[in-house]
Parts: sequence; C-alpha cells; structure tokens
Amino acid sequence: MGKVSDGIAALDAAAACAAVRADLERGRDPMELIDEARVGLQEVGERFDAGEYFLIELIRASQVFQETADLINPKLTELYGRGESRGKVLIGTVAGDIHDLGKSIVKVLLDCRGVEIMDLGVDVAPPAFVAAVRDFGPGVVGMSALLTAAIPQFRTTVEALEAAGLRDTVKIIVGGGTVIDLDAAMLKADHVASDANAGVDVMLAWLDEAGGASAAN
Amino acid sequence: MSDTMTHYERMRAAWNCEVPDRVPYMPMTVYFVARQGGLTIKEFITEPEKFLKAALDGLDFIGDAQHPALNTADHMWMLGHAGWDMTTLDWRIWDEFPPHGNLPSIYEKVLIQDYDDVMERGFSTILFSTALENNIHERSIDDFLYYQFEHTKVWSSVWRRFYDETGIPILIGGRAEHPLDLLQSYRGISQLVTDMYTMPDKVLEFSYWLADYEVMQASREAVTMGAGELPGAENIFFYNGAPPGMPPDLYAKLYIPVAKKMIDAWVARGFNVWCHFDNDQTPHLEGLAGFVDGLPKGRVLLDLEKTDMKKAKEVLGGKIAICGNVPSTLMVYGTPEEVDAYCKKLIEDCAAGGGYILGAECETPWDSKRENVVAMKQAAEKYGRY
Ligand code: B12
Repeated sequence: MGKVSDGIAALDAAAACAAVRADLERGRDPMELIDEARVGLQEVGERFDAGEYFLIELIRASQVFQETADLINPKLTELYGRGESRGKVLIGTVAGDIHDLGKSIVKVLLDCRGVEIMDLGVDVAPPAFVAAVRDFGPGVVGMSALLTAAIPQFRTTVEALEAAGLRDTVKIIVGGGTVIDLDAAMLKADHVASDANAGVDVMLAWLDEAGGASAAN
Repeated sequence: MSDTMTHYERMRAAWNCEVPDRVPYMPMTVYFVARQGGLTIKEFITEPEKFLKAALDGLDFIGDAQHPALNTADHMWMLGHAGWDMTTLDWRIWDEFPPHGNLPSIYEKVLIQDYDDVMERGFSTILFSTALENNIHERSIDDFLYYQFEHTKVWSSVWRRFYDETGIPILIGGRAEHPLDLLQSYRGISQLVTDMYTMPDKVLEFSYWLADYEVMQASREAVTMGAGELPGAENIFFYNGAPPGMPPDLYAKLYIPVAKKMIDAWVARGFNVWCHFDNDQTPHLEGLAGFVDGLPKGRVLLDLEKTDMKKAKEVLGGKIAICGNVPSTLMVYGTPEEVDAYCKKLIEDCAAGGGYILGAECETPWDSKRENVVAMKQAAEKYGRY
C-alpha cells in the first residue's frame, strides 16, 4: 500500500488524487499507479466483506477510485496504448427492475481486478442485452434483479440470447437479494450468486479459463 | 382464550410498550389486498369504490388487521399520484401488475441541480421539468392542483365509510419522507453519496429545509383524513427508505437529528409517528433509541425491515415499540409452515413485556401466497397470547 491506495481505503478523494498527481509528476509508471489504486479499492472491498465498511462507503470508494483512474488513464494510454484486459463482462439489471446498487458493487469489484465492463444500467430489456452481447462480445453476462416479479426476466433474456444464436458465446450469472435461493437451471443461467464477492470469483474463474478477452470473443 | 381488546386497543397498548391481550399483527397488505381483490393497479389507484370493496373482501383472510389508508394517504408513495410528486419526479406508472405491467417506480436522476437555488426560490424551480420522461409538463396545472390539494378528500370519505361499516381504524393519516430519502430520488443515489462526502453541511442544511415542508404537508394530510375524529388518522407514517447501508457516523450526522426534529414537531402537534424503515437498522439502534427523548409515552413506533429484531428488543425494549419483520421472500416463496416457524421465533424474541407488533418486512409483497398471509395472522393468535 502507498499514499494512493491509503487515500482510497480512507475514502479521502483529495489525498488520493494529490498522491496520484505527485507520483505522475515524479514520473512514476502509471501501470504501477493504477495497480496501487486497485489495491486500495480491493482493501475497501475486503473491509466491506468483514463488516467494517458499509454499503455507502463502498460506493464512495468506487467514486474515489474513479477519480484517481481518470487522472491515471490518459497517461496509461499515452505510454502503453489500450491495456491488456482480463476479459469482458456485460452487466445490467433486468427489465422492470430499477435496483442498481448490488449490480454496481459487482461492477466495482470487477473493475479493480482488471476486467473490462459494459454496464447497461437498469430496466434493461432483452433486446438490449442481445445487441450488447453482439457488439461488445463479453465472455460473461451478469444480470441483477431484486423484485420477485422481475425474476422471470432472467429466463426471458437468456431465451432471447438463445434465439439470437449467442447463448453459447457467453457464461451467464445472476444475482440480487431475492434470487439467492433459486436454482440456476430453472433460470437457464450458469450460476446464481449468493453475494457479489462469490459471484465475482466465479466470473473471474470463467474469464481466466477462457484466456482473457480474446478467447472470450 | 379469546380476544379481550379490539385491534386498535391492542395496537395502542403495543405503542405504549404495555402488555396487550395478545401480540398485534400488522401485515401492511397494500398491493396484496388489491391483487387478491382482482384489481389492476390502475383500478386500485383511480377507483376508490373498487378498492373499498377489495378491502372489505380482505377481511376474510386478514381480519381486522387491515390498514387500508396506507396506500392512499399519499405522498411519495408508490402511486405517485400526489400532485407534487407527479410533477417533480420521474414516475413510471403501469396499469397492470406484472407480468403485463409493474409496480409504480421512480427513475432516479439528478433533478435538483443546485441546493442553494432551490432553497432560495423554492420547489417550484423543479416543477414540471422536461427532464422527466413522463410527459408531465404536458398536463394541466389544474390537474396538479387537484391531486395536490383535493384528491385526499376522496379517499378520506372512502375510509370513513370503511370505518363506519367495519369499526376498523385506518391506522395512518398522513405520510412523510425523511429528506435523505427524498434526496435519493431528487439527486440519484450516486450523486447523493458524492454530496454526503463532499458537502455534508449543505446536505444537512437542505434536509432541515425540506423537513419543514414534510412536517407541514403530512400534518395537513392527516387532518384531511380525519385526525381527531377517525381513529388512526392521528398517525403519521414517516418513511425512511434510503439510502441503504449508511455508515454510523454519517447516519448520526445527517439522518438522526433531522428525523428527531420532525418527530418532535409532529408530537408537539398531537400526532403519533410511525417510523417505517427499509434497511437494516441494527448498526443504528442506539441512535434510534433517542427518538423518544423528551416525549410522552406511546407516541413513536419503529417498524423495522432487515434488522436483527432480537437485538432491537434488547436495545429498545420498554422504550419504543417495535414492529417487524417476516422476510418478503418467505412470503412469496415459502410455505405456511415456514412462515409459522418464523413468526413463532420473532414472538419469542420480541414479545416479552409488550411493545411488539408482528409485521412484514416493509410490506407484504403483492405476490405473496395467500396461505402465508393467513399463516402469519394465525401465528400471532397462536403464539402471541400474554
Ligand atoms: C434501496 C432499495 C430501493 C431503492 C433502489 C435504489 C437504487 N438505486 O438501487 C428504490 C427506493 C428506488 C427502490 C424502489 C423500489 N423497491 Co426497493 N428496495 C431497496 C432496498 C431497501 C435495498 C436494496 C439494495 O440496494 N440492497 C443493497 C444491495 C447491495 O444488495 P443486493 O442488491 O441484494 O446485492 C448484493 C447481492 O445480491 C449481489 N448481487 C446483486 N446483483 C448481482 C448481480 C450479479 C451478476 C452478481 C454476481 C451479484 C449480484 O451483490 C450485492 C452485494 O453482495 C430493498 C430492501 C432490502 N433491504 O434489501 C428494497 C426492495 C428490494 N424493494 C422492493 C420494492 C417492492 C420496491 C418498489 C417496487 C417499491 C415501489 N413501488 O416504490 C420499487 C421498485 C421499482 C422497480 N421497478 O424496480 C422490495 C422487493 C419485494 C419483492 N418481493 O419483489 C424490497 C425487498 C423491499 C421489501 N421488503 O418490500 N427500492
């Protein structure tokens, strides 16, 4: 840990950004810096898991991380071009449901592990998932729902992917407070996540198995 | 043993942290009753007579524990038919229940751009915004005025009739939200989180400003509903939904003092305050205990969602009445036996010495199994005798 990761872990945007600026000025490798920022965010994730940090603090940490990443990224692209990604994940809350906090946590956790993410937002209709799978070419699709009434949408969305001939190109994971007791097969998904961390582990294993973004495409 | 109290007397005893004849049961069957009565969402919102009939039919399986007025004494409630809410928030309202429609929803966005501007020039600065995608700016101002000031009277007359026919009190007169909750809708949760960290004092200042409005409008609504004449209309339903997962330091700074100010203001005007929570309050129980400081007995009820009820009883028992919290997933997916066992455990953990009401988690979901709702009612009767 250094000043950047400490700043993120302490939710102190000013300190984290000041440290980034100073490091960049001193000519520190931006790759190293972004890795350090990820460590900070991961630390917050772990404290959240341990019950030391609360949901709002996790959201805030992701904002602070984003602020530092915005400073680091231009330098990163300048020196290295578009970086290596560990793979691509498409994520969204299904049609009829507007709860997005759980999904956003998943996004943050993937982000700090070097995964490229496309977030379709909330109330995402099946055709939008299909179009994004086609255009973005993710290895994994993650869907979230908190309303019991939205649960059938998991299946409907998977069926839309089947109809478009895209089902076999992706692994599908679902999550959200009301789904944890459900059976993946019933939803036509590959996995039902009990919480964000467990889900992220499964997704990373899938991505690593497929050998990163290129293999997933 | 048979009941020796009416539902209202039993509820009052519980609010007072006294021992009633048995544990009261309060399932918050809002959409559920409409759904069981075969109504669409549109009928339920716009046709009071139909909803009255559904509420009367509901007596068969919910008994006298209904509190029909909850969904109609309206401000920021799911229906979005209060004028103010209609014209300042991005409500999407469907005619039907899922799968053909959905429950009414607010789409979060940054609708308040500048706290100072709104405090200086008032809420009219964001009325009829074209940023709302519900085409509200095409509707007439008369429509807005009607829903803001007149519509409650329609419901008021319906619930007076309900009371005349059944003797069942309505349990809620007015409805208000905690300013932080409103801000989640007016700023979006992500922006609100940024605000709470980058300008906490501004958020607090705005919250106090908004609190005055909420206190006033809920009081007015309760009077229209019949506070003082119609039993239960003297209760203000104080909604505290969001933001979820607040850390204790922010909660103590931004949430508790504003809530306390509002509660004190209502109690000073003769109302009771039913504080409804949508999130896990376990980390904040000590702070909530302060809600009744300086107040006469029996004026505040805490209705708790994901909270550890046993812990809540330990911290709040004898001070403030608590209500909760059979999980919504259990009501939808579980069996009557599971509901029964859950209720039994809750009663064992919380009922000793009074001050406990068996309730759902937030509300009884519209898609709950009817037999589960019946199981909850029966559990209160079976295990709740004092
Ligand atoms: C906050 C909240 C809201 C906010 C949402 C704000 C936002 N930007 O998301 C607002 C106020 C807008 C809201 C609205 C409504 N809500 Co709401 N809401 C909640 C509440 C209080 C918390 C949800 C939450 O964010 N939890 C925290 C997150 C972090 O948890 P989570 O989503 O479960 O995510 C975790 C895991 O499940 C996992 N995960 C989640 N998604 C995914 C996806 C993947 C791929 C993976 C791997 C993992 C994963 O990761 C997370 C961390 O571990 C819950 C009650 C509760 N306490 O749970 C009710 C609740 C979900 N809401 C409910 C309802 C009914 C509604 C409304 C219909 C009410 C209304 N009409 O106004 C509307 C919904 C409208 C709609 N169309 O969606 C009900 C649902 C009941 C049911 N049977 O369906 C609940 C359970 C409350 C209740 N008990 O009645 N709500």
